[in-house]
Amino acid sequence: MSNTQGPPPLPPPPVPASPGPGSPQDVPPLPGELGVDPTTLPGPIRDELLAPDPQAIDTASDELKDGLNRCPKCGSTDIRQRAGTDLLICLYCRHEWRGERVEEAFGFGEGIDQLSGTVIASGARDIAADAASLMTFKCTGCGAEVTVNTDHAMTARCHWCRHVFGVNEQIPNGAVPDAVLPFHIKQDDAVARIRQFVDKRRLFALKAFKEQFTPENVVGVYLPYMIVDGNVSADVAGHGEVETRRYTRGNDKNKQTYYDADVYRIDRHVDFTVDDLPIESSATRGNLDTGTNTNNIINAILPFDTKNAVKWNASYLSGFTSEKRDRDVEQLRPRLEDQLLSIARAQVHASVARFDRGVRWEQERLAVHGTRWVAMYLPVWLYSYHQPGRNGGMLHYIAVNGRTGETMGSVPIQQWKLLSVALTVGTFLEGAALWFLAHAS
Amino acid sequence: MSDDGGLWLLAIGPTGAAALYWALYRFYRNTDKSHAFERETAVDAKPVTGSNDKVDKITGTRQTRIDGDNVAAYRKRVQRVE
Ligand SMILES: [Zn+2]
Ligand SMILES: [Zn+2]
Repeated sequence: MSNTQGPPPLPPPPVPASPGPGSPQDVPPLPGELGVDPTTLPGPIRDELLAPDPQAIDTASDELKDGLNRCPKCGSTDIRQRAGTDLLICLYCRHEWRGERVEEAFGFGEGIDQLSGTVIASGARDIAADAASLMTFKCTGCGAEVTVNTDHAMTARCHWCRHVFGVNEQIPNGAVPDAVLPFHIKQDDAVARIRQFVDKRRLFALKAFKEQFTPENVVGVYLPYMIVDGNVSADVAGHGEVETRRYTRGNDKNKQTYYDADVYRIDRHVDFTVDDLPIESSATRGNLDTGTNTNNIINAILPFDTKNAVKWNASYLSGFTSEKRDRDVEQLRPRLEDQLLSIARAQVHASVARFDRGVRWEQERLAVHGTRWVAMYLPVWLYSYHQPGRNGGMLHYIAVNGRTGETMGSVPIQQWKLLSVALTVGTFLEGAALWFLAHAS
Repeated sequence: MSDDGGLWLLAIGPTGAAALYWALYRFYRNTDKSHAFERETAVDAKPVTGSNDKVDKITGTRQTRIDGDNVAAYRKRVQRVE
C-alpha cells in the first residue's frame, strides 16, 4: 500500500497491533486463528503454539452404572447405558431399548416457520418458588429412606442395599427437564483431551497449576440448557460507503492516500427460523463476564447434537452430577433476542458486500413471531482449578463436550514470565529497528 | 510524522511486545472464545430484501473505512427500534 521510494523498502511490522484479551461479546475467531505468526517467534513458544490440538480418541462410554429404572420386559432394575450408544440395556434379560428421541416424540423438529406465540415444553415451565431441592424416596428393596438433592444430582444410592434411585417423574415444579442428551465421550477420553490441551500450554502456565494438575479429577456434569426454536423477522438500517476514487497527494517523502466515496442510506429485512439454539438456563453459567469467571469456556464447547436427545430418564444420569436450572423463559428472553439480532446481522452481511468501505448499522428491529422452549440436560466433562487471588481469585475450567469431544479451557498464567518474554522480544525488535534506522540513512 | 520513512519503526518494539503478550494471553486464557452461534446454528432464512439510497458524497477523506464500521461486529447492539 504505502511504498516509499526514497529509502530502501521497509520490512513490514512483524506483528499486527493486538486488540487486547478479547471478550465473548466479540464474534469468536475462526478455529486456529492466533493473532501472531508463530514462525516469527522463539523456538519453544513456536513449538507450543504449533503442537496438535486435542483429537478424538475413543467415543465409547461405560460410565453409566445401574439405575432403578425398570426394564420394560422383565422388571429388573439392573439397567445400563449401552457403551457408546444412546441405548439402555437390561443386564438380566438383555432387552435393549432406546430412550425415545424428543425430536420425534414431541415433533420438535417440525413447523418452526409456523410457530406463533411462546410454546413451552412441560419441563421448561417456570420453577415453582417453593420447589424443594430434597426429595425423599422409600426404598422398595429394603424400606430405608433415601434422599436425592436435586440441586446437584438426580440420582442417589441406597446406603443399605445399593439400589439406585432416580428422580424419574416430572414433578410439576420445572426442576426436571424435558430431555437429556447422554454422555458419549468416556472419562478416559476426556482425561486424554484435557491433558493434550494443557500440554500445549505449559511454558507460561502458573507453576502451582502445573504441580497440581490431575486431569483424572475431571467430573461429568449434566448442565441445564434451554433449547430454543424461533420464527422471527429482523430489520436493520444504517449507512454504507462505496469507494469511487483513490489517489495520492504530496511528494515522495510525504505521500498520503485520499479517497472519494458515495454514501448510501441502506436498510435490510430478513425473515428466518433458528433450530435448536442452546441457552444456559443457570444464572451462574450464563454469566460470561471474563473479568470475573471463565464460564465462556463452557459456552465455547457448544453446540451439541441436540437432535439426538432422549426423553427424560434418570437412568442416564447415574454416576454423574447435575446442576439445577434457576432461570425461567421470561428471564432468558433478552438473551435470546440478543442472539437472534446477532444472527440477523450475520445473515444480511453478504447483501451489503458492495459497500467496500464498510457499513455502519445504526438501528435494528426484531419481531419474534414464535418461540418454542425445551429444557434439556447436556453432558459436559469439567476440570476445574481455583487460582487464589483478590476477590476470591478465579475459577478456571477446562471443558470437554460429552458428545463431540470439543475441548476448550482456561489455563492460569505465570504473569511475570509472560511479561518478561514479551518485553524481551519487544526489546529485540526495537534493537533491530534502531539498527535499521541507523544504517538506512 | 514529517519523516514517515522510518520513525514509525520505533513503534515496533512496544507494539510487538504488546501483540505477543495479548496473543499468548488469549492462547492460554481463551477469553475471546464463545459459542459461535452465528455460524453454528441451523438458520433457515428467506432471501434478504432492502433498499439503498444514495444520500451523500465524500471527497478527499483519508479514512480507509466508514466511521463506526460495525458490519462484522454482529454482537455489538445498536439502537433497538420497535
Ligand atoms: Zn429385562
Ligand atoms: Zn435399599
